[in-house]
Amino acid sequence: MATAELQAQGRGDVAEKSSFHIGMVFPMVRATLWGFIGYYAAAWITAAIMGQVLFDPAPVLFGYLGGLTGWVMGSGIWEGWIRRGFGGAEAPVLTGVDRYFRFSPDSKATATRYVVFNIISFFFAGMAAMAIRVELLTPDSTSWWMSEIHYNMTFGIHGLMMLLSVVSSVIVAGAGYYLLPLMLGVRNVVFPKLLGLSWWLVPPAVVATFMSPLVGGFQTGWWGYPPLAQNSGTGIILYGLAAATLLTSSVLGAINIIGTMVYMRARGMSLGRVPIFIWGLCAAAILLTIYAPATYTGVMMDMSDLVLGTHFYTGATGHPVGYMDQFWWLFHPEVYVFVLPAFAVWLEILSAASSRPLFGRNWAIAGLLGVVLVAAFVGVHHYFTAVSPARFPIFMTLTETVSVPTGFVYLSALGTMWGGRLRINAAVLLVLMGMINFLVGGLTGIFNADVPADLQLHNTYWVVGHFHYTMLGTVIFTWLAALYWWFPKVTGRMINEFWGKFHAWWFFIFFNCTFFPFFIMGIEGMNRRVAVYMPYLQPINDFSSISSFLLGAGFLIPLANLFFSWRNGKKAPENPWRAKTLEWHTASPTPYKVFPEGMEPVVVHRFDDYSEGSPDPVAWDKTGAGESR
Amino acid sequence: MATQSNEYSSLMDPASERAKRGAFVFFMLFNFILFAAFLMERWMYGGYGHAPAALNTGLGAGMLVIVLLSIVLTVMTRKRLDAGDDTGATGNLALLMLAPILLIVGTVYSWTELPIGSPFGGVFDLNGIWFVLQFALTALAILASFLKGKRAPERAKRERWVVYNVTSYWLMLAVLWVGFFLDYYVA
Ligand code: HEM
Ligand SMILES: [Cu+2]
Repeated sequence: MATAELQAQGRGDVAEKSSFHIGMVFPMVRATLWGFIGYYAAAWITAAIMGQVLFDPAPVLFGYLGGLTGWVMGSGIWEGWIRRGFGGAEAPVLTGVDRYFRFSPDSKATATRYVVFNIISFFFAGMAAMAIRVELLTPDSTSWWMSEIHYNMTFGIHGLMMLLSVVSSVIVAGAGYYLLPLMLGVRNVVFPKLLGLSWWLVPPAVVATFMSPLVGGFQTGWWGYPPLAQNSGTGIILYGLAAATLLTSSVLGAINIIGTMVYMRARGMSLGRVPIFIWGLCAAAILLTIYAPATYTGVMMDMSDLVLGTHFYTGATGHPVGYMDQFWWLFHPEVYVFVLPAFAVWLEILSAASSRPLFGRNWAIAGLLGVVLVAAFVGVHHYFTAVSPARFPIFMTLTETVSVPTGFVYLSALGTMWGGRLRINAAVLLVLMGMINFLVGGLTGIFNADVPADLQLHNTYWVVGHFHYTMLGTVIFTWLAALYWWFPKVTGRMINEFWGKFHAWWFFIFFNCTFFPFFIMGIEGMNRRVAVYMPYLQPINDFSSISSFLLGAGFLIPLANLFFSWRNGKKAPENPWRAKTLEWHTASPTPYKVFPEGMEPVVVHRFDDYSEGSPDPVAWDKTGAGESR
Repeated sequence: MATQSNEYSSLMDPASERAKRGAFVFFMLFNFILFAAFLMERWMYGGYGHAPAALNTGLGAGMLVIVLLSIVLTVMTRKRLDAGDDTGATGNLALLMLAPILLIVGTVYSWTELPIGSPFGGVFDLNGIWFVLQFALTALAILASFLKGKRAPERAKRERWVVYNVTSYWLMLAVLWVGFFLDYYVA
């Protein structure tokens, strides 16, 4: 089959070089311009027809739709997709830098754009968090800083943005869409253009959410619960549409994940050989595909109660608890969309870093899929205080069973490291810290799920502590780990290990100083989502706030690290971590075509066999030489 | 390199026809569940009783006939595709496009019948809005396939999965609309 000569060619340099010039950003500028024009044109026309003003719900609704359309059309989707779809001229082929600045079917460009935009969203949502902590420096509502109304808007925007434009996509999209085809040994995903579109849906939703105070903001936090949603500012329209847009974007990715994994694996890659990270992505994708629809209808019905005058959740005949059921039907499983890919990153990194096979690999996969099975049936644990006790025992028991499959994943991680010699670099350090944080987050989750405890803890800072441990403490730690780990793959350079580790400790210390006090505050009776608190809680709040400022400022370190390492970091060796998975068998930085034309990888052995003298898992073959898939 | 292209089943869009059609099922699954949720919500939010008398069953029955005819037409179109008769299939698409357009007109007309603030009227209308949206997008997709078949037949031949997926999607919507009819007009 494969000759030695052929084996050397897999890494062949097929990069098409082109250098950046400013004209390349034209599509982005055009999209922005058309987006704003679209918004105002649609909003004004609606307002004129209906005799309303720009702050009324209907003009905002149509304005958003107009703006979204304008932005997407400005992105180059016409030349790149729609025109050819209608039988017009063929789309231009973009192999150089320009594909990063316009609609492009290249999964690597899409993923890179996700990373950059995630950083931007994280920055702005993080600034909102800082604003919240400034407000909480004093127990009264500090009028020089922001009013209580503004405080409510701020935590709502912070929460929605962190969840749906940061945590939900940092690993799934930024790392996942990049690695999905590479780890499976193909050049692109199954629907590259849909994946391209998924990114272009994100920025307008984010901009709309941050601008929502201009049309009155929203007071509901990230829940959008009726009837407050219908009574507290037109900004809720932007909340609902942004949430729906971001969900759509996630679902477009989810379909690609499942489809690519099921139909497009390299020859020889049986499901048993599919890397664990892909299994993690797959678990998240199943959750999104199955559970997003009901929540989607919930958001639409919530908005229609405001705009169209229906009464699903409001008025004498409405059922507000129905919204909670629909909302949490996805948004509880959504937490696993965040965290299962992060778990999978741990396993991928730990196995390579300790040069050991994944311990209990099949159990770990069963764990990931097991969480998927129970996921949707536990949502009521978010509103025990709002339903009849008949539902308590069922949802309490189901929630607590989630610990079992989660335990499999943990055991797999621990067993992989156990007795091995773990090489600790910045990425591995962040993974270990993320595991410790998740232990705290997961264990406090069990308290939440325990009805007698939750009736006390619900809507206190305890819950806020819980979910920051699981999301900031777990997903964001793991995000940084993934960025560092695959940085050499994407850029061909190494990050600065010293500053990576330095920041990991900084992050870990100030993260815990900021958020561990939340548990104490919660038990001591501090409500969440209220701008004022009892004066005896001021010292602990001040400690937390000051820690949070240091925590926030600390993110400048990885930002600088990533930027400078990208520009002039140390050149990376071919396979810096001695990992075996397929992405490291191709050239870095990944060339446009990933691997040379006429060749394809064949998987001949499992990827996590690090034993002495084990065969290389990948062999190169001429395309079409083997049996067809 | 001379062989670069942005076409389907090209180097950088390597999914096979089987993959394109198979993966599309997951896309349909999402939308199917979405409509299924609406069909259930008719009972959760629309009350347990029969449809209100004001509902125009004649209009519904007329739309049902269109839907059923369109199902027959879609099945015929796919038969032609299977037989390799792409020109014939393209011809069918022009006719098929009428179905979503007529259904949009019918649905929009039906909105005038029930007060949207009533429990049944609300969920009926909202479900209808969602259908209209999907009908409109599918009509565009059918138009696209039709025009591609006419203007760039060679390319259309290489991308036959597109027509398959578009017609699959239409079949799904049509079946769902039959469900809608049973759920809202009959039950
Ligand atoms: C897997 C990672 C997890 C994430 C990302 C996560 C995230 C969250 C979030 C965001 C909330 C607050 C939602 C809100 O009210 O705004 C929350 C609350 C809750 N979590 Fe978790 N969680 C995780 C794990 C767990 C686990 C393992 C359990 C239980 C075994 C659990 C049980 C709960 C309960 C019962 C609540 C509701 C508490 C209340 O509002 O009274 N969570 N979680
Ligand atoms: Cu939950």
